[in-house]
Amino acid sequence: MNRYLPLVLIAFGILAFATLMLVIAPGIQMAQRSVPEGLRPYSEQESRGREQYVSLGCVYCHSQQPRSPDQAPDVERGWGRPSVAGDYVFDQPHQLGTMRTGPDLLNVGVRLPSESWHLTHLYQPRAIFGWSIMPAYPYLFEEKPEAGPEDTVVVLPEGFGPDSGVVVARQEALDLTAYLLALDRTYPVPEDALRDDGYARKESGS
Amino acid sequence: MPITMGLLLALSFVVSLLALSFLIWAIATKQFALDRAHAATVFGKGGADGPDTDGTHLFDTTGIDRVSARPVRLLILGAIFWLVLGSTFGVIASLKLHWPDWLNQAAPLTFGRMRALHLNLVAYGWLSQIGIACMFWILPRIFRTPLRAPNLPVIGFWIWNIGITLGALAFAQGWTDGEEWLEFPWQLDMLLVLAGVFFVVPLVKTARAREVDHIYVTGWYFLAAMVWFPCLFFIANLPGIHYGIEEATVNWWFAHNVLGLWLTPLGVGTAYYFIPKIIGKPIYSYSLSLIGFWGLALFYSQVGIHHLIGGPVPTWVVTLSVVHSVMMFIPVIAVAINQHVTVARNLWALKESLPLRFISFGAVMYTLASFQGSIEALRSVNTITHFTHYTVGHAHLGAYAFVSIVMFGAAYHIMPRMMGRDFAHPGLIRLHFWLVVVGFAIYFFALTIGGLLQGLAMLDATRSFAESVILTKPWLEARSVGGTMMTLGHILFAINVIGILRKPRAVAQSAVAAE
Amino acid sequence: MTRTSKQTASKIVKPGEDFEPWESHNRVPLPVIWIALALGVWGTALLFQDQSSYAVAQGDREADEVAAHDAPEGGEALFLANCSTCHQPNGVGVRLAVPPLQDSEFAKAGPEVVAQIVLRGIDGPIRVKGFTFDGHMPSFAAALDDGEVAQLASYVAGRFGDADAALGRDQVAELRAAHAGSGSWQGGEELAGLVPGLPAQPAMPAMAQAGPDPAISDLIFAGRGDVWSCASCHGGLGQGAENTPRLAGLSQGYIAKQLQDFREGERQNEHMSFVAKGLSDSEIEGLAVYYAGLRVDSTAQPALGGDLARGERIALQGDWSLGVPACFSCHGPSGFGVGADFPALAAQQPAYLASQLAAWAGGHRNNSPLGLMDRISEALPESDRRAVADYLASLPAVPPTEQKAMARIEGGGDEL
Repeated sequence: MNRYLPLVLIAFGILAFATLMLVIAPGIQMAQRSVPEGLRPYSEQESRGREQYVSLGCVYCHSQQPRSPDQAPDVERGWGRPSVAGDYVFDQPHQLGTMRTGPDLLNVGVRLPSESWHLTHLYQPRAIFGWSIMPAYPYLFEEKPEAGPEDTVVVLPEGFGPDSGVVVARQEALDLTAYLLALDRTYPVPEDALRDDGYARKESGS
Repeated sequence: MPITMGLLLALSFVVSLLALSFLIWAIATKQFALDRAHAATVFGKGGADGPDTDGTHLFDTTGIDRVSARPVRLLILGAIFWLVLGSTFGVIASLKLHWPDWLNQAAPLTFGRMRALHLNLVAYGWLSQIGIACMFWILPRIFRTPLRAPNLPVIGFWIWNIGITLGALAFAQGWTDGEEWLEFPWQLDMLLVLAGVFFVVPLVKTARAREVDHIYVTGWYFLAAMVWFPCLFFIANLPGIHYGIEEATVNWWFAHNVLGLWLTPLGVGTAYYFIPKIIGKPIYSYSLSLIGFWGLALFYSQVGIHHLIGGPVPTWVVTLSVVHSVMMFIPVIAVAINQHVTVARNLWALKESLPLRFISFGAVMYTLASFQGSIEALRSVNTITHFTHYTVGHAHLGAYAFVSIVMFGAAYHIMPRMMGRDFAHPGLIRLHFWLVVVGFAIYFFALTIGGLLQGLAMLDATRSFAESVILTKPWLEARSVGGTMMTLGHILFAINVIGILRKPRAVAQSAVAAE
Repeated sequence: MTRTSKQTASKIVKPGEDFEPWESHNRVPLPVIWIALALGVWGTALLFQDQSSYAVAQGDREADEVAAHDAPEGGEALFLANCSTCHQPNGVGVRLAVPPLQDSEFAKAGPEVVAQIVLRGIDGPIRVKGFTFDGHMPSFAAALDDGEVAQLASYVAGRFGDADAALGRDQVAELRAAHAGSGSWQGGEELAGLVPGLPAQPAMPAMAQAGPDPAISDLIFAGRGDVWSCASCHGGLGQGAENTPRLAGLSQGYIAKQLQDFREGERQNEHMSFVAKGLSDSEIEGLAVYYAGLRVDSTAQPALGGDLARGERIALQGDWSLGVPACFSCHGPSGFGVGADFPALAAQQPAYLASQLAAWAGGHRNNSPLGLMDRISEALPESDRRAVADYLASLPAVPPTEQKAMARIEGGGDEL
């Protein structure tokens, strides 16, 4: 090949075609679906909490896309039904994730609806799971000699809290927990839902 | 609806196949006007002072190199700074996975921040910069004409590095755009785009002013990459228009094309230049180089959605990416034949040249990484490897064992020629090589084995999720060992490069110093 | 590859510094073309296969939709789906446990009476055909709509009571409104007012049901410094969600034993061990009493994509080709539970059931008496785990049992 302009034009054209196939066409297909009935936008506190989730990089260990029972037993672990494209319309940026160093979280608000549990877990995951490698987030909390009237005290077993006084959740921890509790996509799947069905088996019945 | 999408799917695949068939036909019927004589006569435009064209392809690049030296020097320095810093953050992140209570006191030290810092600093700070440095060194040489507007890349260098610094500080503090490979806040991305203009303009000007009729294969990769990367970067980072799953498809269209249409061309193009250059023989086949390039363009561009297999995206898009991922065997085999056959026929060169060892090793790793990737994209394999550490191992096989190691070799080749003197500590080069090769081997096998075990545990409901975490711990510890060795190698690399840039230790008799 | 030094010397031609790369002109090796063609064929085949895969999944989704919206047609199907697990498909009931419908005074009283019983359920002693039963029938008001109740009541009265009147949906709507918020029929005593000519009914015992100890109530709803509140995970009404189990209606002995097992480490679950370690014996008793007495609707639904027909078969008959007994043979009719060792399964969260079966099979739950569940779970393939879990989740909620005599296996533990 010897000519500059045809080279770059064709190269650009190939990328444009790829963009059409990978981004634009599926985007149009997804935009034609309406928002699922059970899904509601995040409240203001939940949105703040979501920003915490994004900024702390939770996505680097936790996915938010349970798989189909045809493929993997995600649903038996309590992670919820296989997610579909419509479940994420209010997510910006998406937090689908590509690692499961920790469990899938798309429905964590359903199986662990306890704010108190999440505060304990965020403060020190190893207070609950001795084997956990999740980081602790002590800076989302503060230690006080005694709890004030508005404070949310963190439940901690012996040995994990300060020697005296209590651990109280800061607003960031409460916001993040509110977001986690809002993670619930267990409403029924609309008929025209979009997801990768490539694992569906040819024999009917599972 | 399935019918329409199925049609689109079939359409895309048919287009790619047709294009490839057209290409092969074009080669076979010699549509590409290049015969032996033409290749031999690389000067078409009355170069009266050109060296003799007796078919041995000799050209004195000293004058050209002198002009390129300043931007190349700066870019290599900048790249090495981010390499050392980025590798260190990588080691810290790796240690945190099995020492989770270490360095937890403040948010910037947390794993989520460290990992993002590592990825962005090595991708945009190290790999992109050293790749651009190679472009500035190689393109004027293959175009047989000095770099045009050589001051512009210097400005670009400063803007680029300021952008990276600000970006790193930003998401250490938690200001992030929130997607993998796209964490830089878009406001700071604009600095990188601006710097990119300062890089691209001189290279395009040089390309337009070239003194050759034929563009050597490295030139195709570099020139196309300079079109692809800005498009990708721009579209993916546009704020406010992407959300939900469409944003996810953009994310992975971008991230995988950064690897395949930016970093891979940098690495493959560099290897294509230095392997025959150091050995002194041509690459095996022009036709294969065409298939390798256009196959990459056609197939690689559509593999991105293999990061979302089994996920909430339409089936046809996933299958499209899976099929294209496997089709990548074709261009990768073509490049492999071209690069490895040339080396295999000249094994003496590996003994003679340390840079070639790096570059050839890296080129082989490209072949292996691509084969692994093609197989990893198959649904049956992917169901085990998805979400595990296996994919991290694969990513590093490509971005590190291939591109980074090729770039080490390129830097070791370029620097003595550019500075006109030897490396101060040639022994460190060998040590660097063994540290990164052995370190990476430990890294890769640890994550590959650990990841497969992890994936199998996750697929078995009778095994608790805890099991999948507990069993990876020893493999993660091994990875920290490997990663530390690699980082030590980088420090040695930095010592040597900085050393050669400072006071001369010995003036080289010939420019063939480090080999 | 060995070469003589002469050959090596002649083959090595180190390049000059000014050698610049170029491409030689060898042809594309034929194997490369073959590989390209083979991959092209494979890729095309995969595209076609993918279409059918999508069609299968789409069909499954539509079938689920159909199953969700189209309830079984007709009174007989409703009866078989909802009533037959306790009252038996032929309506004869279970001796000493479940009253018969065949020729019973209540069925003969006509579809209106049957509908009112179905809407409210019955608690307390009742005499049917000369035998006294003391149990609890759940209310189906939430599970069935007016039309379904009408069809069911008409069918039951017609088949078992020889009534020929049919009930209309509007009548059911009126009855539902009239009885809204009334709770269950308090034994045959209250039903005597509804059914004329009913034989003498046993007296309803005075239910001195004091509210739970405030300390227990606090524990359940507010938690403590070292223990999360029970309700914060298990729900305010103890109904559970995903793999957090429903507690409402589980037997007192069972709940107490599980809490003790969590505390001693006999049963492994990080969340519950955390909680149980902070509980005293009296707190465990108090919690068990509270949840055993809770009477709330089911929020569980099939959610695992399991084959409900297969699940029903295993629950009712077992699968002896796998060595799996019927669930109900130990866990009681309709999965309502027996004693402290065989907990209620009906209305339990399906992800919890499936995960427990998986845990027994994988060896990380092993507190089943005599190791019974370990062996049963190991025999069940993954699809059957989901089938059984989904089926059991579809059953109505368990009415709490007042246990006069606690059946318990002595010398339990997984000795096998």
